[in-house]
Amino acid sequence: MAEPKPVIEFEHVNKIYSNGVVGLKDIELTIMPGEFVVVVGLSGAGKSTLMRAVNRLHDISTGDIRIDGESITKARGKQLLHIRRKIGMIFQNFNLVKRATVLKNVLTGRVGYYPTWKMLFGLFSAEDKQRAYEALQTVELEDKVYTRADQLSGGQQQRVSIARALTQSPRIILADEPIASLDPQTTKRVMDDLRRINQELGITVLINLHNVELALEYGTRIVGIRAGEKVFDGPVADADAATMAQIYTGQEEG
Amino acid sequence: MTETKKLPKAPAQHRWYFWVGWALVLLLIGWSFTGMPSFALKENAVVVAKSMWHGLTHPDWAYVWTGDGEDLTNALLQTFGIAFLGTFISAIISLPFAFWAAHTPNRFWLTSRSGKFILTAIRTFPEIVMALMFIKAVGPGSFAGVLAVGFHSVGMLAKLFSEAIENMDSGAGESVTAAGGNRLEVTLLASLPQLLPEFVSNTLYRFELAIRSASILGMVGAGGVGTPLIFAIQTRSWSRVGIILIGIIIMVTAVDWLSGTLRKRLV
Repeated sequence: MAEPKPVIEFEHVNKIYSNGVVGLKDIELTIMPGEFVVVVGLSGAGKSTLMRAVNRLHDISTGDIRIDGESITKARGKQLLHIRRKIGMIFQNFNLVKRATVLKNVLTGRVGYYPTWKMLFGLFSAEDKQRAYEALQTVELEDKVYTRADQLSGGQQQRVSIARALTQSPRIILADEPIASLDPQTTKRVMDDLRRINQELGITVLINLHNVELALEYGTRIVGIRAGEKVFDGPVADADAATMAQIYTGQEEG
Repeated sequence: MTETKKLPKAPAQHRWYFWVGWALVLLLIGWSFTGMPSFALKENAVVVAKSMWHGLTHPDWAYVWTGDGEDLTNALLQTFGIAFLGTFISAIISLPFAFWAAHTPNRFWLTSRSGKFILTAIRTFPEIVMALMFIKAVGPGSFAGVLAVGFHSVGMLAKLFSEAIENMDSGAGESVTAAGGNRLEVTLLASLPQLLPEFVSNTLYRFELAIRSASILGMVGAGGVGTPLIFAIQTRSWSRVGIILIGIIIMVTAVDWLSGTLRKRLV
């Protein structure tokens, strides 16, 4: 078998905001297919910036980011859209169209596979509707398929947005603080869904959390970010209490 | 031990402006009275008032439906048509103006400011003035009324639309971008589904107002129930005025109720 190729590569990535604030500082990161990578760090450390750099919701200042060996930093027009469709994203605030049905929201994930004029009339194929329904089955919300999104609970809405990301048939799922506004039970539900997707479908998951226990429980690899810099990168087994404390406070323990 | 802090007195720095403001208002009121001619009723005022009262309390029921197309029902239908078509046209014209005038992040401030300025300029033209201008352009009749309502409404409707755009949650759009959608697809799949109910609701509200203004546009010759109303007033046929007013009241109330019910369902 051929050597597996990295699915996400960061090469000397720097991000400086227009007001001079440093978002990311010389990030080097290589993620292999099938990994469940948890990014941890304080609020404002640059976790979200890192996530959003991957699918270029935020542009980076210097450096290069490659998805499946293809540079998203240099991609233009169609090429950029085609790379983006390989990357599903889950947001803290779910980002659903609240007045639309669950099915319509989930179908949105397929947008990258259609010409624009078809979207003008909402012409999704029967095949994609079936695909959306199957994605809803994965998160066990198939009975809500024709319900309006705003009638669901927060946890259910987040699972709809997972289904939306799945419908995209992505190689990668980015989850930007997906559980920050959920209660503990729902959190477990959402995290279990993500783990199942990672293990059964082999989709690479890059997630940021500020809950250390969850990071250690679900992740296969931990990346620690402090003030825009990568301060730790290693398997969960290496991330002991001292390491975590260092990521969060910047002080060596003992 | 810490002492309980007492609530400090509100700063009294603006007292002075307050009194000067009131003094100015009173002065303005006094000054306005100086321009008023001596207050005197015309000699026949009582007689006219009596006949008016008699006419208004004895409306001309026969006028409701005469069958020749020159009756109240037809005039009201025409007014309804003017308001409906005018509002419909203005809703369509308002769309591009709304996106122009909406102040959303990452936009140059002058773009939205110039759009807002144009909308304000449109709003300053009263409908009656617009109707008079359109009568010169397309001749008297309902078409001039439709155009007057249509153009005047843009000023307010586009402003309401642009506010809906400004208050929209941009998250759903972000998710479409993340899934590989282009800008147009973001609008189609995320923005419009969120905005349409709001737009329809605003349009219905504007339609309620348009019904009221379309009722008087006929007075300058722009079609609708205003025309028979001004004729009836000029010929002092108060019983006819009475029935026309009743007709207008019923129509306005019905439209208000209907559109109010629809709007409640939309949101």
